[in-house]
Amino acid sequence: MIPFAIAQQTVREALRRRVMWIFLVSGVFLIAMGPVFGFLSPKDSQTVLRSLGLAAILLAGLFITIVTCIYLLPVEIERRTIYTVLSKPVQRYQFILGKFMGGFAVVFINIVAMGIVFLAMLWLQEKRLPPEMFIGVVMTFFQMLLLAALTIFFSTFATPVVNFFLSFGIFLVGNMSSVTDSLTSNNNPLVSNAGKVIHYLLPNFGNFNIQNSIIHPTIEIKNPNVFLFQNMIYAIVYSLVLLTLAVLIFDRREV
Amino acid sequence: MAAAISIDGLTKKYIDVWQKMEVTAVNNLHLQVEEGEIFGFLGRNGAGKTTTIKMLLGLIFPTAGDATLLGKPMGDNNVKQDLAYLPEETYFYDSMTGWDLMDYYGRLFRIPEPERSRRVKICLEKVQLQPEAWKRNIRGYSKGMRQRIGIAQALINDPKLLFLDEPTSGLDPIAHSELRDIVASLKDEGKTVFLSSHQLADVELICSRVAIIHRGKLLTTGTIRDLISGERKEVTVTSQALQNGLYEKIHSIVPGAQRQGNELVRFLSDDDDTISAVIDIVRGAKGKVLSIVPQKRTLEDVFVETVRKEEGEL
Amino acid sequence: MASAIKKFPSGVQARRQKALPIVFVLLLFAMFMQSRIDPMAREMRQEEDLFITATGSLNNEFMLLPLLGFREAAAGLLWVRCDEFFHSGDYDAILPLVRLITWLDPHADNVFITGAWHLAYNFTDSSERSDRRYIIPAHELLKEGIRKNPRIPDISFELGWQNYDKTKDFSAAIAAFQKSINTIPWKGSDDYPYGAPLKTHHILAHAYTKLGRIPDAMMEWKRALQRSTEQLEKDPKSFTFKSMHSAEERNLAMLAQRFADRYTATGHSPTNPTPYPAVLIPPPGTDKTPRPWNMSFRPIVLSVRKNVLKMAGRINMADGARVDIRLTDWEYDLKEKERRKNISTKMLERFDVDSATTIMQESISVRKNKYEREIDMSKDTKMYSFKNKSKLYRVVVSFNPRATSPHVQDRHGYSGEGLIDRPEVIEYDRRPEFMGTKLIDGQGGEGPVWDGKTIPDEKNIKDEKYGQPNRMLKVTLKLSEQQIFGLKPISAKDIVPNEAP
Repeated sequence: MIPFAIAQQTVREALRRRVMWIFLVSGVFLIAMGPVFGFLSPKDSQTVLRSLGLAAILLAGLFITIVTCIYLLPVEIERRTIYTVLSKPVQRYQFILGKFMGGFAVVFINIVAMGIVFLAMLWLQEKRLPPEMFIGVVMTFFQMLLLAALTIFFSTFATPVVNFFLSFGIFLVGNMSSVTDSLTSNNNPLVSNAGKVIHYLLPNFGNFNIQNSIIHPTIEIKNPNVFLFQNMIYAIVYSLVLLTLAVLIFDRREV
Repeated sequence: MAAAISIDGLTKKYIDVWQKMEVTAVNNLHLQVEEGEIFGFLGRNGAGKTTTIKMLLGLIFPTAGDATLLGKPMGDNNVKQDLAYLPEETYFYDSMTGWDLMDYYGRLFRIPEPERSRRVKICLEKVQLQPEAWKRNIRGYSKGMRQRIGIAQALINDPKLLFLDEPTSGLDPIAHSELRDIVASLKDEGKTVFLSSHQLADVELICSRVAIIHRGKLLTTGTIRDLISGERKEVTVTSQALQNGLYEKIHSIVPGAQRQGNELVRFLSDDDDTISAVIDIVRGAKGKVLSIVPQKRTLEDVFVETVRKEEGEL
Repeated sequence: MASAIKKFPSGVQARRQKALPIVFVLLLFAMFMQSRIDPMAREMRQEEDLFITATGSLNNEFMLLPLLGFREAAAGLLWVRCDEFFHSGDYDAILPLVRLITWLDPHADNVFITGAWHLAYNFTDSSERSDRRYIIPAHELLKEGIRKNPRIPDISFELGWQNYDKTKDFSAAIAAFQKSINTIPWKGSDDYPYGAPLKTHHILAHAYTKLGRIPDAMMEWKRALQRSTEQLEKDPKSFTFKSMHSAEERNLAMLAQRFADRYTATGHSPTNPTPYPAVLIPPPGTDKTPRPWNMSFRPIVLSVRKNVLKMAGRINMADGARVDIRLTDWEYDLKEKERRKNISTKMLERFDVDSATTIMQESISVRKNKYEREIDMSKDTKMYSFKNKSKLYRVVVSFNPRATSPHVQDRHGYSGEGLIDRPEVIEYDRRPEFMGTKLIDGQGGEGPVWDGKTIPDEKNIKDEKYGQPNRMLKVTLKLSEQQIFGLKPISAKDIVPNEAP
């Protein structure tokens, strides 16, 4: 109950931040512009709407996640409100958990909002709801779950600016999983070992990038449920690792 | 009476990595606060008052030493059920209304509805926050209103022990005295208040006991009455014989004696024997004792004297 | 910054001891999941690779970087990806990547060069004949690279090399090498991965020789020698520079020797009846009068079956000479200028070539005065669609004296000035930029009479007039679709008059 109270309060605070709304509105705007670009582009308008929509959700989601989660802890410390919370019978892990849940709820709300707009546009254009597009949105959602956990983890010991570069950097590196995957089989043992460390140890954000496959109506994901399930498990387990580490560090942090 | 706070050798040291220097914020602090008293914790800015409170609440971790709160080790999560803390200069979540803020803190104590709403109402009324402000955003609150909501949030759980850090600083005189009265009234409800302040006049009015801390070191502790007791008297004498060496004689007994003009000598002393000896000399020289006026010390005098003395030694 | 010596509550310590093993196990589990996800992700990526679109087979991560402004970084990563495709032989996948990289990073000189090389050389039919339709986009890519990198001599060098080696357009090659020489390099390092500027004079000298501009060639050899001498002084142990230096010395000497031999036939008779007396190969034991070389060029083209032609024939020339075969749509050369002028955005953006266009080019070497080859185009319908609108095809069988090797040229001169054959098979290339050094004795060509001693050098070159046209042997056939498809025989009646280049 305590984490829920903290989460609810966090959502309320976060929804008041203007910068989040800017990203949300830009995302929705981009998605809504899909048919226009499809009209302008000589390529298949269906492909344009699909790729633009998924890209907009990913990009807006990425920035919303980072700007929301980066400040969750620092603002509490800066305004000293954390003293009033932690001096009450609130365990530090409950505080972290509440903050994470709140931050992620904000991301969830945003992705759902953009997802609804996206699916509505698809419905208008294709007169059906392609299930693989739904999977695409869900994948972005789990990618953001992992990113939110990563950002919270860094915010237990890094300043917001440092956190931004760390989270963003790892997001970029983690996104290059096709590159790091090919590095693991490199002939140079130094390169292949470095590739393995990056590919397996760092959070692998590239797993969730199935946009290109699903944009093409001709490509089918084999065993989509297995693929989806494995990626979900991966995101959840890795987020758990990050949150536990965040709690362990925050336990020892002097506020 | 049992001890509400018992501090045993609490020490907090920082290492300045760049200058390779050890900084002691709190140095081997021993202190007892009894249940039901308002305890004044005095010190200049940076003396270690807030550091001590944060250690007691488990926000930061001591280098050495121990303490118990309400009989339980500090940092214990269960004891926090009966604690309250008002930090200095808190901004709160200023996009929330006063009521919502109180409700949020109530939920952190797992106070169920409708009990929670009742408690919120009681607390807001107690700190005399105008009801029309309850549903307004804290962003629009004045400094006095913020301090009121701060005390209100500290009362939400009906705590047994409150830590108030400078609750009355920076307020206008009316708000100041109102808040001071609210704090004073907590004692009547049987609560223990650990009041960190440098508003010495307030402390003197409402606290039963005080401790003075300077550069992390406890200088003195005791009841206010004890601290300001040892009444001094100002003695004024006059005599024609001042020219004939009487002043020098008085001066040799009381080095602080001051001569005013050709006929008056004044001095301060808290020692009756010394005073009697001087009076004997004056009478022998056919002089007059004009007045012996008792002088009362304030807490401020004690504080300044104590700190100066410590500084002088350093 | 201050750190503290801390005494944590016992719960904190206990929590850490309990949680760390759990974290470790969870992390191992996450890594295990990753190993399960990888094969599926790989499979998916492979499936994507089958689709060539504007983004090719790119994942979003590559698109993210440029969106954030890291264009060069994205380009670099893509180039790494490209390397994989080169190794796997997935040549089609490379094209969109090359396009994307050069858009992202217009200063990726190596991508312009390698991409153009890839276009011009790597697309072949099953008999390793180049798909020459890709030459235009290759050259366009190089020209774009030159425009965007005005201080990188390497790209002009590559354009020169392709014109010299691939298209045998020696005039264009010379212009490109000159441009490369006149480009002040941006980088001041000694790292020259693509030939320029170290080998520019060297290859330029070869190009001048092939164009029959011998004094120019000799001048370039001297410049090349100067350059390699400087390099040798800097690095006396370098094998590359040593061998280059000695090759240049030898080439200059040989060229001077040949120039003198070919143009100064000592026994030149003023009564020689032929207009092309320049070459002297007097048969042993006969009189010393120089005679022209009769080529006796007799090409035959046979239709074997659908899309299979047999090329055979006679040519009176030493082994090592090559006969060029070129089969195109009838209008191919007529439309060449138009094609180069109006380059479609499809071609520029996706390196797409017109699938209806057919061009096949082959060169067959001569053995014992004969040549013969069966050209099977039936297996490569993508390259040879035979789908042009007029349904007429042009087959040109030709011999280019300039492109041939020096020991062959010894028989007919640099520009074929010493060869004779039936008039209808001799084709003069009189385009001004293709004129070689004039004949010296004034009989066949229009040049000044040579004193037989002086080798023309730099200062004479200014006054030199180039007036020697290339004298090619060429037979043109006009074939119908039925003849290509093997439904009608090909005969001498299909031979049509040559068209001037």
